[in-house]
Amino acid sequence: MKTDLSPRMKIALYGLMLILLVPFVFPTWWMVTSSVKPISDIFAFPPEIIPSRFDFSTYGQAFELQPFAKQYWNSAYIAAIVTGGTLIFSSMAGYAFARIDFPFANTLFMVVLIGLLIPSEVTIVPLFRLFLSWDMINTHWPLILVPVFGAPSVFATFIMRQFFIALPKELEEAARVDGLGRFKIFWTIALPLSKPALGAVAIFTFLHSWNLYLEPIVFLSSPEKFTLPQALTQFTDAYGGAMWNIQLAAATMTALPVLIVFVIAQRQFVEGLAHTGLKG
Amino acid sequence: MAPVTFSNVKKSYGAVKVIHGVDIDIADGEFVVLVGPSGCGKSTLLRMLAGLETISDGEIAIGDLVVNDLEPKHRDIAMVFQNYALYPHMTVEENMGFSLLHRGASTAEIKERVDWAAGILGLAEYLGRRPGQLSGGQRQRVAMGRAIVRNPKVFLFDEPLSNLDAKLRVVMRGEIKALHQKLKTTTLYVTHDQVEAMTMADKIVVLNGGHIEQIGTPLDLYDNPVNQFVAAFIGSPSMNFIKGRVDGDHFVAGDARLPVPPGAAEGRDLVYGIRPEHFTLAADGGIEAEVVVVEPMGSETQVTMRIAGQNVFGTFRERVLALPGSRLTLNVDPADTHLFDAETGLRLPRDAV
Repeated sequence: MKTDLSPRMKIALYGLMLILLVPFVFPTWWMVTSSVKPISDIFAFPPEIIPSRFDFSTYGQAFELQPFAKQYWNSAYIAAIVTGGTLIFSSMAGYAFARIDFPFANTLFMVVLIGLLIPSEVTIVPLFRLFLSWDMINTHWPLILVPVFGAPSVFATFIMRQFFIALPKELEEAARVDGLGRFKIFWTIALPLSKPALGAVAIFTFLHSWNLYLEPIVFLSSPEKFTLPQALTQFTDAYGGAMWNIQLAAATMTALPVLIVFVIAQRQFVEGLAHTGLKG
Repeated sequence: MAPVTFSNVKKSYGAVKVIHGVDIDIADGEFVVLVGPSGCGKSTLLRMLAGLETISDGEIAIGDLVVNDLEPKHRDIAMVFQNYALYPHMTVEENMGFSLLHRGASTAEIKERVDWAAGILGLAEYLGRRPGQLSGGQRQRVAMGRAIVRNPKVFLFDEPLSNLDAKLRVVMRGEIKALHQKLKTTTLYVTHDQVEAMTMADKIVVLNGGHIEQIGTPLDLYDNPVNQFVAAFIGSPSMNFIKGRVDGDHFVAGDARLPVPPGAAEGRDLVYGIRPEHFTLAADGGIEAEVVVVEPMGSETQVTMRIAGQNVFGTFRERVLALPGSRLTLNVDPADTHLFDAETGLRLPRDAV
């Protein structure tokens, strides 16, 4: 969007944005710098904005204290499967809700949307009992199945439906005349055109899975099965005191892929949400 | 190529009837235009033939094949949409070859057909581009190319020119007509623009409110409209209508006396119809008209006038230099006039006039 602003307005706006940046940038800065400070310097007063002494051994120690590489892999592969699964199910469900006439389609869609209203804290105990009866406690299955068939997928389905509704119907009619069946129309016309929406869904689904905290601590009990947010809480010494610098080193490594994804894909993310008509 | 037959075709959405039993015979290779005001059901009829709308009752046949329950892909038709409906993520070449690809044609065959279509439509240098990089006229050509590559039995056009500017519309109108003359494929063309209908059609079907008002050649509809609706719809500027009664060999409206052929029905309310170009300037002894607005077009002059308190419109080859408020004297050839029943809107047959 291009707007003509006077230079004074521009300076004022940039100033405002700089102020708004502080609550986002400062904690990140504090996390990154504290991860390389000796533990005694972290809470020094006045606080050191720029570390005076560096200790990079914290990054190595994070891998020694816990099976951190394994936990990293756990988080990564679970997020990948959840993202893939959500993309498949939400795009197909969204397409069906947007384009296929079936009895009670709107009612059913409402029922699905209600899933968004229920906080995960409410369903976690029944889910625990369910997975217990399926013998899936202390496995990664709940962390895959719950998001793919739960609230995140509902939100994704909603985004995909809104996107497909906005696609010109004539494109699909043209494809029908060109000789395609329903699934081929979905696969060769609707899906390739929904890349912006798929991108947005992929990013937020990945983030949701990557940041998932409540579910792992409920369903997982052995450290080599842990995911990253759960593992971060485990960097403590023999007396249960937090080993701040190592924990923050692990936190930095946890946040890094997310930051990278955001920097690369922020445009797509914003455009995707804008395309779905979800902007204000 | 094949003839197309609509037999007593009806369409309703729930309790709402939108097409009330339509019969149309389209001969092999004919260019038929469905025309009518918006909401008259013309697009619905086209989409029923395409297979994009179900047929509530009646029968549609392409050749000898009744297509009522066939999927669009089994009907061997090709359609050009109002907004072109080009696949934005594919190049021009992929757009045009798409239907062949999904019908299992070989790469060489697709290439040959696409090159042939691109050659006819002047698209050869744009094959690698995407629709977003083309102008409106080029997109229109791609949409046509996509239709012709398959060599279907019937072409369907759904208001294909309405997204183009006036100048381009005239150009594309000519191109579509030329394409039809070259390929001679049966064509059904939907438009609300009677000029398109007049200029392109072998046969025009005038629709109104889900009924057929009249079917005929363009000049037939122009010269012999069956009712006031067709008379008003076909021709631009539109036919003038003046209310009054016949008295002897004149039509009397207020203080004006307009000539009619002898023997016209006397004594009931009628509507007198005369096309703007059928007024001629007379030296004296004709119809008196008061000038309201004069619009010189160069090639002709359009004049809004009042006759017996009713606005009428005249088109003259001469340059009329009358001032508003002044008077013109007009002549009318009784053979060019039409009389309509004021109640039913039906035109009185010539021999009864």
